[in-house]
Amino acid sequence: MSSLGYVIEQYIMLSGALFTLGCIGFLVRRNVLVQLMSIELMLNSVNLTLVAYNRMHTGDLNGQVFAFFIIAVAAAEVAVGLAIVLAFYRLKSSVQSDEADQLRH
Amino acid sequence: MNFDILLAVSPILAVAIGGLLLMLAEAFGKPMVLTGPQAGLVSTDAGAGRSDELALGSAVILFAGALISVALWKVGPESLPGAAALAPYLIIDRFTLFFCFLLCLGGGLASLLAGGYLPEHNLDRGEFFPLLVFSTVGAMAVAASGDFLSFFVALETMSLGVYCMIGLRRGNLRASEASLKYFLLGSFAAALTLMGGALLYGATGHTDFVGIGQGIATIGKSTSAVNAPLVLVAVALVIAGLAFKISAVPFHMWTPDAYEGAPTPTTTYMSVAVKSAAFAVLLRILVIGFGDPRLASWGTGWPTIVAWLSVLSMIVANVIAGRQESVKRMLAYSSIAHAGYTLIGVVATMHSGQGTPSVLFYLLTYTVSTVGAFGALILCGRRGAEAVSYEDLAGLGKRHPAAALAFSLFLLSLAGVPPTAGFFGKLYVFSAAVDSQLNVLVVIGLLNSVIGAYYYLRVMVYMYMREPEPGAPLATPMRSGFVVAALIVAAVFVLVCGILPNTSLDVAAAAGLSHG
Repeated sequence: MSSLGYVIEQYIMLSGALFTLGCIGFLVRRNVLVQLMSIELMLNSVNLTLVAYNRMHTGDLNGQVFAFFIIAVAAAEVAVGLAIVLAFYRLKSSVQSDEADQLRH
Repeated sequence: MNFDILLAVSPILAVAIGGLLLMLAEAFGKPMVLTGPQAGLVSTDAGAGRSDELALGSAVILFAGALISVALWKVGPESLPGAAALAPYLIIDRFTLFFCFLLCLGGGLASLLAGGYLPEHNLDRGEFFPLLVFSTVGAMAVAASGDFLSFFVALETMSLGVYCMIGLRRGNLRASEASLKYFLLGSFAAALTLMGGALLYGATGHTDFVGIGQGIATIGKSTSAVNAPLVLVAVALVIAGLAFKISAVPFHMWTPDAYEGAPTPTTTYMSVAVKSAAFAVLLRILVIGFGDPRLASWGTGWPTIVAWLSVLSMIVANVIAGRQESVKRMLAYSSIAHAGYTLIGVVATMHSGQGTPSVLFYLLTYTVSTVGAFGALILCGRRGAEAVSYEDLAGLGKRHPAAALAFSLFLLSLAGVPPTAGFFGKLYVFSAAVDSQLNVLVVIGLLNSVIGAYYYLRVMVYMYMREPEPGAPLATPMRSGFVVAALIVAAVFVLVCGILPNTSLDVAAAAGLSHG
């Protein structure tokens, strides 16, 4: 394997680790803000994957352009997300997702 | 200047421009004069108290979008060669136009329902309507997208609007909770899909579905640099992410809660438009991107996963739906079960050319029946007494025969009883599956339709054969021309697709995707 391939592989492993951490954080933690941060971690690991792979597919800049779009959309998503968390906090004075238990059959 | 492009995207463009105008109209309208303790003061929210005009406006915009899609269909997207310049980001073909029509129809009917529901339940806030229109723009772009980049941006455009529409009732804990749950799981699912897309980019060097399909086709050749295990992981991630959006079991946990806590017009919109758009992109990815014969076969590919999702969705949703006390929650589980039936058609795309058309036709029948059922539920409630439980509906058949009759029609269509639209929807999905030798899936689907009939008919039993408990609050229908209009449109579609299904079937057949 070329030295470039080796470097890319390390980045992919790092981003895989970040993605897994984000997944685990989202599923295990009960604090909504931490869950939001875990989702951001997952999105950033996607960015890292795209940019790293773009070094391998050198014909175009698709991967890097994609990463910019993800950054912009993630910002919009977090704005809406924090507004929703705020609305929930005002009513419940808590950001624990365990306490979102009104809707049961 | 390439006018083909403008003409080709005109359905999406028209709805987007309409949404901008609607937002201006909402912001610069004449504010409402308050009543009650602050009588005489002018409301600071310019959109408050103007649901009538805004609902009419957004319904006109969305139905115009549907009409433009029909016109473009008649012209034929093939006659606009310049539109190919938009590919792969937006692909304007008959498949896309079919979904543009379907999504505009669903969105327009949902906005009519909102025009009746919001003022009745003291939620008269103008921002709902621009959100709905922009969300529909996103949904149409999702159906048109042929690249992970445009798909992701469109998906978020659609979802962000829906998150806000669920939480419209800000002071209500249940609504906030519903929107929180949907937001968290929705963005988690988007991240999963996106990781799948990034891995596919790594494996094939393409983010567009056609390029991914071509890359996957080279696997096994000596010149191929495509990493097969990476592709399999990516396929699983993409399917899991999309299964959240179509609410297939085991990715359905958010569905009943979000559907129940949201205002009913939002629930209608979610179960109709969001689900249809997700099915559109699921079909496009599976058929175009993962259409390679090795990936689209039993044992090594996605049909096995999708078939399991389908079976689990039908069985789990039907079993739980029968035990619900709330009709709204029952309809939420029923929408999960319908995702299961539709997935049978998705599996059938593997062998049979009938697969895609059957899914499209099923989504059309499901859309009109579901809008009708939720609309009838809205019609049966009024301020302070929203009809939610079976008990609320007891004896409705005697007190308000028209409302009960409308409700029954849509429930029969959801149950799949002839001569309603739902019957033919199920029939064509099952016959496409038989063509593909998926007999086991068909048997499971038929058994589940029978189980499903139990809880739909239970509503009718309550309406026609039960007397309300003495002293229990009685549901009295609200009066709203908007809701009645939406119900009439939905009922016409249900009966036309049920009695004369040929026209809409031909349309669905012409809209089918061919293996790229």
